[in-house]
Amino acid sequence: MAQEPNFEFNLPPQFEQITKNIRWVIVGFVAIMAGFSSFFTVETEEVGVVMRFGKYVSEARPGLNFKIPFIDQVKYVPVQRQLKQEFGYRTTSSGVNSSYRKAGYGGESLMLTGDLNLADVEWVVQFRIDNPYNYLFKVRNADETLRDISEAAMRQIVGDRTVNEVLTVGRAEVASEAELIIQAIVDEYELGIKIEQMVLQDANPPDPVKPSFNGVNEAEQQRETLINQARADYNRVIPRAAGEAEQTIQQAEGYALSRVNTAEGEVSRFNDLYSEYIKAPEVTKTRIFLETMEDILPKMGKKIITDEKGNSVIPLLQLQMDGARTTTNSNQ
Amino acid sequence: MKEIKGLGLIVVLAIVSIVLFNAAFIVDEQEQVIITQFGEPKGEAITEPGLKFKVPFLQVANYFEKRYLEWDGDPNQVPTKDKVFIFVDTYARWQITDPLKYFERLGNERGAQSRLDDILDGETRNAVASHDLVELIRSSNRVAETEGVIADIVNDSLENIQIGRDRIQEQIQELANQRAADLGIAILDFRFKRINYAEEVRRTVYDRMISERNRIADKFRSEGQGESSRINGEKERELLRIQSEAFRSAETIRGRADAQAAAIYNAAYNKSSAARELYAFVKSMEAYGKTIDKETSLIISTDSEFYRYLNSINR
Repeated sequence: MAQEPNFEFNLPPQFEQITKNIRWVIVGFVAIMAGFSSFFTVETEEVGVVMRFGKYVSEARPGLNFKIPFIDQVKYVPVQRQLKQEFGYRTTSSGVNSSYRKAGYGGESLMLTGDLNLADVEWVVQFRIDNPYNYLFKVRNADETLRDISEAAMRQIVGDRTVNEVLTVGRAEVASEAELIIQAIVDEYELGIKIEQMVLQDANPPDPVKPSFNGVNEAEQQRETLINQARADYNRVIPRAAGEAEQTIQQAEGYALSRVNTAEGEVSRFNDLYSEYIKAPEVTKTRIFLETMEDILPKMGKKIITDEKGNSVIPLLQLQMDGARTTTNSNQ
Repeated sequence: MKEIKGLGLIVVLAIVSIVLFNAAFIVDEQEQVIITQFGEPKGEAITEPGLKFKVPFLQVANYFEKRYLEWDGDPNQVPTKDKVFIFVDTYARWQITDPLKYFERLGNERGAQSRLDDILDGETRNAVASHDLVELIRSSNRVAETEGVIADIVNDSLENIQIGRDRIQEQIQELANQRAADLGIAILDFRFKRINYAEEVRRTVYDRMISERNRIADKFRSEGQGESSRINGEKERELLRIQSEAFRSAETIRGRADAQAAAIYNAAYNKSSAARELYAFVKSMEAYGKTIDKETSLIISTDSEFYRYLNSINR
């Protein structure tokens, strides 16, 4: 208590001025607060939901907006932004090379198929808030609710298909049917959400089974390879054999032509000779004989002439000639 | 005196504003309110949002949610009717339909969640235990599209169901709603979120899937080998056919030519005895020409015809 007067003594003279006009200071301060509190900015992708005493009044478009200070509250809802929920994986950093994390989300993606096998399905739901009022006031935790709906719907669809359909032929159908079901349940709950797209990222066999599924693909490839190799082998051998067969036949044709022509040629020559021979057989024969001898004698090696008694020397001569060929001309 | 008067005014103003603040309360869009006086509910629930008033200090405003609320089941391990152990994870959405009853019976949301746990988990367990697994998984008797090759080896079709997932969910919801009828809440939707095999069961399912795939792979491989052998056999048969046909044709052509040549020769050489003689003579002359070379020695006897010819030439 003793210190207070000291304080007042230390106060600068301007402060006294302020304390005198304290009510104006307060009024001014409140006015500034009210001023700031009476307008608000709504970003491009948002809508501002204005509530007066907790009651929904209106929605404010993007830009500068006014409200009753202290009484009106604004909640911002990003209605234009496309939002997404990932199942079975999470994007850890997005960009040109996005990275994903799958570990720990197996519970979301592993599900039973209609033939009681298991499949690992990863998907993403892209959605927009199309009714801010419903989004805020109809369902508590609308985002979590959408996750629950998506998981239940996906399992309902996959539960009505075989594992083969889910993994191969039926993929597109799974995505489109799940989208329909999700939207139907969302409408039923009045979540105020519009499903833009439902994308099936990946439908795989569970990890322990994967190698055997890949084995099937490999075996299919092997089958094609074996068949193609056999076909290639066939195509390498058969056309060549057909060509060779054609060659054999052509050669035979050639032989036939040459054989007949030769025969005709020889016969023609013989006939001509014969027509002369018939006129003077002996002379012709002698002439032919001598012509032949003239022709062949110079080509021969040794020529030995003996008389009829000398036949006994022939064996001796043969020995001397040591294997050389002998032609004996005794009587034509 | 003036100062005391001003102070009194301030005090009065303060008291009035405190009373006013206590009397007024705001009901949000997503809320409903029950007014209680010394713990005893007064009047109907206030469901309209906005600024409301009550008797200050004596009455208390109790706030309750008006929205759909979440309920998430515990993943329970339950055996199905066909004795398969599965984990069933469920969710529900519920709403406080009668705040007064809700307030009396359950008090607050924690109480409600715990009652819902009892009711829904219990009904889920009953329903799972009284149905086969396939009834919990499938929701329609849709016919599967099957691939020929695979369907030949493994059972690629879908078993038909009597009741199905959707109907079982509805049944659980109905039964749960009956039990929750006097709690002032309504279960609006109940669904199976996840159904999964228990660990040991999962391993046997994996084993079965692996053996099925191996069978399919074996089939593909043996098909490949079979088809390859068939093509090889076809190739060999075709090869032999082509070669033998070519041989047959060639020999036929040659034979025909030989016959033709023989006919030509015969017609010429065999037309008279003179022709036969000339032919034999000419042929033997040709034979000389062919058989004689410089290695050949000629022994000519003086009484041979040839010598006689030579002799006559010399003379």
